Amino acid sequence: MCPERAGTRNRIARGQPEGALRERSPLVSCRGLIKTYVQGAIEVPALRGVDLDLARGDFATLAGPSGSGKTTLLNMIGGLDRPSAGDVVLDGRNLATLGKAELAELRLHRIGFVFQSYNLIPVLSALENVEFILRLQGIAPRERRQRALEALADVGLEGLEGRRPAHLSGGQQQRVAVARALVGRPAIVLADEPTANLDTRNAEELIELMAALNARLGTTFLMGTHDARVIARAQRHIELTDGRISSDETRPAG
Amino acid sequence: MESLKLLAPLAWRNIWRTPRRTVITLIVVSVGMSSILLFAAFLEAWAASSRDRTLTLLTGSAQIHAEGFLDDPTVKRMFDEPSGALADALQDSGISGWAPRLIVPAILQSEYRTMPITLVGVSPAHERAVSVLPGNVVDGNYLQDPADPGIVIGRKLLDHLKTRRGKRVILLAQAADGSLAERSFTISGAFAGDSAIEEQFVFVGLQVAQGMLGTGERLSEIALRVEDPEALGPIVERLRHAAPGLDIRPWKELSPLAAAVDETMGLMIYIWLWVMFVLIAFGIVNTQLMAVFERVREFGLMQALGMKPRAILGLVTLESGILVGLGVLIGMAAAVVAINSVTDGIDISFFAEGAAMVGAGTMLFPEIDPARIVQLSFVVWALGVGVALWPARKAAKSSPMEAMKHVS
Repeated sequence: MCPERAGTRNRIARGQPEGALRERSPLVSCRGLIKTYVQGAIEVPALRGVDLDLARGDFATLAGPSGSGKTTLLNMIGGLDRPSAGDVVLDGRNLATLGKAELAELRLHRIGFVFQSYNLIPVLSALENVEFILRLQGIAPRERRQRALEALADVGLEGLEGRRPAHLSGGQQQRVAVARALVGRPAIVLADEPTANLDTRNAEELIELMAALNARLGTTFLMGTHDARVIARAQRHIELTDGRISSDETRPAG
Repeated sequence: MESLKLLAPLAWRNIWRTPRRTVITLIVVSVGMSSILLFAAFLEAWAASSRDRTLTLLTGSAQIHAEGFLDDPTVKRMFDEPSGALADALQDSGISGWAPRLIVPAILQSEYRTMPITLVGVSPAHERAVSVLPGNVVDGNYLQDPADPGIVIGRKLLDHLKTRRGKRVILLAQAADGSLAERSFTISGAFAGDSAIEEQFVFVGLQVAQGMLGTGERLSEIALRVEDPEALGPIVERLRHAAPGLDIRPWKELSPLAAAVDETMGLMIYIWLWVMFVLIAFGIVNTQLMAVFERVREFGLMQALGMKPRAILGLVTLESGILVGLGVLIGMAAAVVAINSVTDGIDISFFAEGAAMVGAGTMLFPEIDPARIVQLSFVVWALGVGVALWPARKAAKSSPMEAMKHVS
C-alpha cells in the first residue's frame, strides 16, 4: 500500500473531512484518449481524443447523447477496457502498463463501481455483497464485518443486511451497490447511469446519498448519466459529444 | 487458505442455484461411480473365483510332473518320490503344503453305466494341505489314509453312473506294465466341487492306486501350495534348480484362462472406468458450461470489482470439485452398501456352465479393497475436475467489459 493511500485511509478512519487534505495532482488524467471499435470491416470511433483531469474529491457528471462515449470513457478510466491510443493515469499509474491481474488489483483497491443494473451477486446477502470487496482485499473478519455494517448503515439499509438481492427493491439494491463501491475506500467511484432504473424518490435519495458520501469521505465520483437531477447536483459537469469533450464546467458547491 | 474461505461458500451456493440441474449431475456422477466400483467388485470376484478354483480345488499354486506328462498324461510318465535336493526344496518355508498324486486316465463302471474318468491316487493328509476337495465331501467320508480301500466320487458322476454311496464300482486302467488293471471299490463318499471336477475326477488312496497299477512308489504329480503370490516365482525357480529333469510349472502356466482373467481384470476395470467416465464427463462439462454461460455477466462483475482471473478459475474449478466430489461420495456409498449386501455371495449357478467356461465357479463373492475404492474414486474425481477446467478457463478468460455487456 502506498503511503499516500494509507494516510487517506487513516484520515477517513478518524472521520476528518478530506477536502482540506486533498492533493493538488489530478487523481485521473486522460491524455489523447482514442477508442475505436472494429465491427467486421467497419470502424466505429467511440472516443476521438479526450483530455480530461479529475481532481481528488470531484463530484462530477459525464453526460451526452447515446453513443457519445460516456460508458467507453468510464470503462477506460476504470481499467475495464483499453484505449486504442492515448493514456489513462490513475493515482499516478499508467493503466496501459498494467496486466490483467494488476488492473484487477488496482480496481479492487482504488476504484468503486456502481452500475445501472445494480449487479449484485445474487447468491450473497446484502452484507455479504458488501463484504465481498473486503474479503478480496484480505481484511480480517472482524474489521470486515464492522466496516460492511457501517457501509450499509451509511446508505440506510440497517436491518436488511441478511436479505439477498432478489428480496430487495431496485432502490435498495442500488444502495447496496453504493455501499459496496465505497466500503473498500476507493479513490474514485465510477457510476454508469446509477439512477436509470430507479423511480423518482429512490433516484433523488441516491443522488443525495452519493453527494453526502462525497462530502463526508472526500471520495471522487464520476457519474455517466442523462438524469438532469444528477447533473444539477454535480459540482462539475462534463459534456461529451461524438467522442469529444464539448464542455467542462465547474460550479460552486451547492 | 484465505481465498478458499472466500470461494468455498460462494461455490457451494452457486452449485445449489439450479437444484434440479445439480441433482441430475449428481445422479449421473454417482451412478457412474457406483457402476465403476460394482463392476470392479464383480470382476474382482470373478477373478478370485477363477483363481480360487485353480488354486484350491486341484491345481494348487504349482505342480511338478515328469517331462511330457502334461501332453500325454499316462502311467508311463512318472517320477520317483521326492528325495535329496527336491525333498529339501519342498521344505521351503514359503510352501504351506504339497501333495503327491498318481494320475491316470481310467474307466469307471457301475451296475448301469461306464464313464471315462481321471483316477487320482492321493495321500489324504497331504491333500488337505493343498486342496479343499477333502473338506467338500457332502455324502459319506473322504479317504482316511493312502491305503484306504474306498473311492470318493463327485456328485454329478454319481448321478451319471446311477449309483450311490456304499455301492461298488469297478475301476479299469492301464497298468505300468501295459496290462489292464482292474479293481473293485466301495464308494465311501461323494464330493462337491465345480461341475467339471465332479464329473471328471475320482479319488482313491495313493498306495492303493500304486498297487493297482504296479507303479511302485512312483508319482505322476506333486501339487504344492504357496500362500504368498510374490514368493511363487522364486520357489518355482528353486524347485527347477533342485530337479532339472522334471517339468515344474506355476498355476498361471497350468491354467492360462485363470491367469488371463487375473491379469486382464485390472485392464477391464480401467476400460470400464473410461467408458463410464466419458459419459460422466459429458454431464459435468455440459453442466459447468451452462453454469458458466449463465453467469458470464457475474464473472465480468467479479473481475470488475477486482477479483483476479485466477480466482474466477479457482471458483469454477472448486464448484466442479465439490459437485463431482459429492457425486463420487454418493456413488461410493451406494456401491459399498450394494457390495456389503451380497457378502454371502451371488449364486450364478443358473449359468454355471457359462461361468465355468470363463473360469469362474458358481458362487461369486464380490468385495473390493478400500484402497481400490479410494484409488478409483480419486481417479474419477480428478478426471472430473480436469474436464471442468475447460469451462472454468472460459469463465476466467472473459473480459470484464465484454462479460458485463452479456445479457443472461
